[in-house]
Amino acid sequence: MKRRDLILFLIIPSIAILSSCQHKPAAAPANPLLNAYDVEQSSTDPQRLIPLNYQQAQGKRVFNNNCVWCHADSTPAGPSNRSNLTPTPPLFTDGETFNSLSDDLMRNTITLGGSAMGKSAIMPPWGQTLTPDEIRAVLAYARAVAQPPYKASARPASQ
Amino acid sequence: MTAKKMGEISTRLRAIFALVSVAFVAVLAVSPVRDFFQSWKRYEKNYVSYAQTRPDTKRLLADFHPGIDQIWLPEMRVLDRCTTCHQGISQTSLSDASVPQPFRAHPAIPHDVKKWGCVVCHRGQGPATEISEAHETTLAWEQPLLPIRFIQASCGVCHRADLPQTPKLNRGRELLSQLNCSGCHHLQDIERPAMLGPDLSNVGNKLTRQWIYKWLKEPHTVVDSSGNTVVDGYETVEEPRMPQFRLTDPEIKALSAYLTTLKGQPIEPAKFDQGVVASLQKSPDLADQGEVRFRQMFCTTCHSLAVTQGDETKLIGGNIGPELTKVGSKINPDWLVAWLRDPQSYLPHALMPRYRWSDQDLYKVTQYINTRLTDPELLSNVPPLEEPAQEEIRLGQRLFLEKGCASCHVIQGVSPQKDFGPDLAILGSKNVSQLEFGNSSIPRNIISYIQAKITDPLSVNPAARMPQYRLTPTDLDAITTALLGMTGSPANSSLARLIVPRAQGAFHPAGAFGELSDRYKCAACHRFNGDGGNLAPELSFEGSRAQRQWIMDFLKNPQTLRPTLIFRMPQFNLTDQDASVIADYLGMVTQSAAVKLSAVDQKQFTPQMAEMGKQLYEVKYQCNACHTIGSAGGYVGPNLSNAGNWLNAAWIEEWLKNPQALVPGTIEPRRSLTEQEVQALTAYVLTLKQKAPGSAGTTAGGAQ
Ligand code: HEC
Repeated sequence: MKRRDLILFLIIPSIAILSSCQHKPAAAPANPLLNAYDVEQSSTDPQRLIPLNYQQAQGKRVFNNNCVWCHADSTPAGPSNRSNLTPTPPLFTDGETFNSLSDDLMRNTITLGGSAMGKSAIMPPWGQTLTPDEIRAVLAYARAVAQPPYKASARPASQ
Repeated sequence: MTAKKMGEISTRLRAIFALVSVAFVAVLAVSPVRDFFQSWKRYEKNYVSYAQTRPDTKRLLADFHPGIDQIWLPEMRVLDRCTTCHQGISQTSLSDASVPQPFRAHPAIPHDVKKWGCVVCHRGQGPATEISEAHETTLAWEQPLLPIRFIQASCGVCHRADLPQTPKLNRGRELLSQLNCSGCHHLQDIERPAMLGPDLSNVGNKLTRQWIYKWLKEPHTVVDSSGNTVVDGYETVEEPRMPQFRLTDPEIKALSAYLTTLKGQPIEPAKFDQGVVASLQKSPDLADQGEVRFRQMFCTTCHSLAVTQGDETKLIGGNIGPELTKVGSKINPDWLVAWLRDPQSYLPHALMPRYRWSDQDLYKVTQYINTRLTDPELLSNVPPLEEPAQEEIRLGQRLFLEKGCASCHVIQGVSPQKDFGPDLAILGSKNVSQLEFGNSSIPRNIISYIQAKITDPLSVNPAARMPQYRLTPTDLDAITTALLGMTGSPANSSLARLIVPRAQGAFHPAGAFGELSDRYKCAACHRFNGDGGNLAPELSFEGSRAQRQWIMDFLKNPQTLRPTLIFRMPQFNLTDQDASVIADYLGMVTQSAAVKLSAVDQKQFTPQMAEMGKQLYEVKYQCNACHTIGSAGGYVGPNLSNAGNWLNAAWIEEWLKNPQALVPGTIEPRRSLTEQEVQALTAYVLTLKQKAPGSAGTTAGGAQ
C-alpha cells in the first residue's frame, strides 16, 4: 500500500518534467509553389513553374504593363513590337544577356534609359514613370525568370 | 505499542515525509523548468548568437529585448507576439535567402511590418508562443496560417477597392460578380447587378421548347480533358455565366414546358420596306453581304464567333454580349428583328446599343444570322416534345422557384425567394468549427471547404442546391482568395477608419448627350471619371485631347490603326446631329484641368521648329520604336500619321511634359524634355496630316 503511494508520488512529477522537455515537431517544410505570391511558367520548360515572391510579382505587373511590348514575343494586345526593333531588345528571360550584368548596371539602364548608358535610345528611361521600388521589383522579376537561372554573386544583394 | 515500535514508525514517517517533499519540490519545479525550455527562449538566444556572427551586430541588437515581444493593435483586435522569434523581420540586412529562419527579414511590402506585425495578414494565432500553436490548427487554437497563395485575401479585408498589387484578389471579385454569385448569396461589397440572367417574362416568343430543353440538358459549358473551357465544342477563355444545374429529364421537360408558355408580349412580325426586300431578296449573295456588314459594324467587339484556323477551332471576339456561332438555330427570326431595332424594349437593362439601322442593313444582317450562324445538328438529340401538359407547366413553375432560377432570371409576377443561398459576407472570418463538412474526407480547414463547395457542392452537402461551376484552378484560387477576404463589416469605428472603400461611380449624363449615351451604351466600353468599361480608351479628358472635327469624323466612321487591336468601336450609323451632340459634350465636359487649350496657338510653331522636332523624334528619342507614321514604326502607341488633325496642340505639349499627369498609369514613359524640345516635338506632330482627314484607315483611335 505504502509502496504504491510512494511510486505514484515519484512517477507523476517525473512525467510532468519529461513532458515539458518533449520535442516539439518542427513546421513541415513548405511547398514553394503553394507558398508563392504568384507563379510564372518557365520560358524553357512550360511544365515548370517558378514561384514569385511579393516583390517579384509586383515586378511581373510592371513588366506586363511597361516592358512586355519590347521585351517579349507576345503581348496582351497580340503580336509583339519586338521584332520591329533594331537592335532587337533581349527577351526578359534571357539569362545569357542579363546574368552577367550587375544589379546596379541593370537598374541604371532601366532608370536612365539606353542612351544614357551608351546603348540604343529605343530603350526608354523609366526613372520618372516608375518608382524606385517598381524598378527594383522589375529587376527582381527579371532575375527570377532568367534562363539559365541567375545566381546572385557572393556579396549581399543591395536591396 | 512499544517505544521501539513508535520510533520505527516515526522513522518511516520521516522517510515518507522526506520523499513527499522532494516530489513536491520537483512538481513545483516543473513550471520554471518548462519555462526555461520554451522554444521562443531558444530562438532569442540563437538570434543573439547569430547577430554576433554578423558584421552589423550592433544594429541587429539595437532593439532586441529579452522576453516576449508584442504588438498590440486594439483596432484590429490583434495581439501579435510573432516578433519574439521572428526577430529580424524588419532588418533589411537579413533579407537574403541564406539567413536562417525564423530570423529572415520580411520582403519589402507597402506596409511597415514592425508596426502591423504578422497576424493581420498571415493569420495564425498571435498570442501563442509555441511554434505549432502559432502556425497550425490545434484543439484550442483554430486559426491556421493563411498559405501565401491566398495572402491577397488579407489585403482585401481593408482594401475594398481593387489594388494594382493584388491581381488574384481583383480577379476573384470580378468572377464573383460576373458569375452572378450575388444572385443567391449575400457577399461583402459585391453588389447584386441590375441584370443577372435574361428576363424570361417573354421567352416563349423568342425560343422554342426544343432549344430550351437542349440548353438545360446539355451544358453549353464543358471542360475538356486539359481543363480548357469549351462552349458548344469551341474553346474559350471565359466561363459562360449560366452554370450547370443537376436536373432530371422530367424536370427539364417541365421547365421547358413552363418557359414556352411565357408569352406576355407578342412579337410583331418583322416589317421591312417592301422596296428593300424586293431589291435584295433575289440577290444570290445576300448572306455574304450581311456578313460583310456584320463585320464592318464590329459586332464581334462584344460577341464572339467560332473560327476555325487549320484544325483548331476557337471563339474569337468579345464577351460583353453572348456568343453567336449558332444563334440562328436558337431564336425566332421575328424576335431577332424586333430585338435589333430596340433591344431595351425586350430587356430594359440590355447593354446592346440601339443602332440606327437602315432597312437594307437590317435585312442583310438578319438574313446572315438566320442562314449562316446556324447548326442543323444542334437540336438533333432532343427527344420529341409534345404540347406542354398542364401538370408539366405547374411542375416547371414550382421548379423555377425551387431550383433558384428566379434568383437570376426575372419573370414578371414571379417573386424570387429571398436569400436563396447562405450569407457569405463574413465567410472569410469563420472558424473551422462553424463550417459543415458533412461526410467528406477533405482536410478540415476553410480553404478546402470553400474549394469543395465550389468544385463539388454535393461532397460537403448532399442536399446542396448550388449549381455546378467549372473553374480553372487559377480562377478557383482567385475566387477562394476573394471569399477569404470577406471578413465582415468593421467591428468598431476605429477599424472602419482603415477600410478603403470601393468606388461607386455612376455615369448618368443628362440632356441630349444623356439620351445618346443611353442609346449607344458608351459606358459599356469607355470609362468616364472612374465609371464604365475597360475595353476602349478612357474618355474623361477626350475634349482636351482630340479636335472637334476629328471626333465627328471618328464617330461617323470609327477606325483604328493599331494593327494589334481586335476590338474596335462598332459603327453605329450615327446621324450628323448625333455626332455633333456627342462631340459638343466631349468638348465641353470631358476636360483636363492641366490642358489650357486657348493658351497654345498653332501659329507659334514654325517649320524650323518642326524640323528640329523631326530630328528629336527620329534620332534622339526614337519615338518610332512605338509609334507608326505612314507605314513605318512600332505598334505600342497610337498611330500618329494623322496626329495633326487629331490632337490639340496644348494636349501634345502637356502630354510630352508628363503623360501620367494627364492619363494616370499610361505606359508612355515620361522623359525630361527641355521646354524647347517640347515645342519642337509638338510642332512636328502637328505637321503630321493625312490628305482626307477621317477617311478610312487614317485616324488613330485607342490611345492609351
Ligand atoms: C520601346 C521598346 C522598349 C521598352 C518599352 C523597354 N525596353 Fe528595355 N530595351 C530596349 C532595347 C531596344 C534594348 C537594347 C538596347 C541595346 O542593346 O542597345 C533594351 C535593353 C534593356 C536592358 C539592358 C540590357 C543590356 O544589355 O544592357 C534592360 C535591363 C531593359 N531593357 C529593361 C527594360 C525594362 C525593365 C523595361 C520596362 C520598364 C523596358 N526595358 C522597356 C527596348 C525597350
